[in-house]
Amino acid sequence: MRIIVLFSFLIVLGLFLMSQIPVVLTSNEVDEAVSDAIAQVESTAEKKGEAVPQIDEDEVTTAVKLAIEKLENDQKRRLKFLCAAYFVIWLAIMLYVIRIGRKQHALDLRLSQLEQDSPNSQEEPPE
Amino acid sequence: MGKSVKILTVVMAIMIFASIYLIFAYAPMEQSMLEIQKVFYFHVSAAFTAFVAFGVNFVFSIRYIIKRKVNHDLIAVASAEIGLLFCTAVLLSGPLWARVSWNTWWEWEPRLTTTLVMWLMYIGYFILRTILTGDRRRIYSAVLGIFAGLNVPIVYHSVNIWQKASQLHPDTNTKYDMPQSMTLTLWFVFFSFLSFYALMLILQYRLAKSNLRYETIRQQHLGEM
Repeated sequence: MRIIVLFSFLIVLGLFLMSQIPVVLTSNEVDEAVSDAIAQVESTAEKKGEAVPQIDEDEVTTAVKLAIEKLENDQKRRLKFLCAAYFVIWLAIMLYVIRIGRKQHALDLRLSQLEQDSPNSQEEPPE
Repeated sequence: MGKSVKILTVVMAIMIFASIYLIFAYAPMEQSMLEIQKVFYFHVSAAFTAFVAFGVNFVFSIRYIIKRKVNHDLIAVASAEIGLLFCTAVLLSGPLWARVSWNTWWEWEPRLTTTLVMWLMYIGYFILRTILTGDRRRIYSAVLGIFAGLNVPIVYHSVNIWQKASQLHPDTNTKYDMPQSMTLTLWFVFFSFLSFYALMLILQYRLAKSNLRYETIRQQHLGEM
């Protein structure tokens, strides 16, 4: 029983780590995505025959990075609390199962002690 | 370990693993609370299981008062103990969810307050059992079990009884407004917790019965000496 609870807890933790870790974007990826987006806006304007808008790439990159950082921090916070909530539930269950196991063990010990102390245990069993 | 216990253990283990899959892979991400909403499935299921456990305690406490059978007392105690475990899990996981969703660890709103009162009542139940001995322990704790059991419907309906303005929890009909995949996941997790409850109840009851038998034999043995 203890093994099952421990195993399932590890499964929860494993699943959590594998599937819920936030996707961290690197600085290069952000720069590349911003450049692509600006190029796309410029080419669309050119196709339509409109004036190409003046976009400050550095300012846009900074704004996007700040936005991503905020979203990532929010997600990390949510995941931290989610993990903690699942952890306390599993911890409570595991401690309870261990407690039952200990009580069973204590009873077994007392029974074997009683068998040893019993006056009948010294006698030969009847044939 | 009996065959029924082994089967129940396997069924419970499969259901728990399936629950984890359903929560993280099948149920959709709720759009306002995002990841933290996943606490909902274990939190609410644990609360429902605690209600069932306290309900069983209530029924067997009444049966003990009427019939005075020790077995009924043993089942009542075992059920209350597991109910307390689930209620503790609810009270521990709730604030972690609340911190992200409501930006507070605790609020003295009706559902939280009545749940805390319920938890304290069952703590009192076990304190009473520690203080008293023999028949007095069984009778008094059965009376307290009945009294505490009457609090369970109050906890469930607290979101409907008190003013809406004082509530943070949604009302009892919310579970019918969820997408089908969320409802299915919730019920599945609840039944997997219920199977865990049933297994623990059997084990705890058997253990308590063996302890009682041991004490009887020991008393006889001491009498003979």
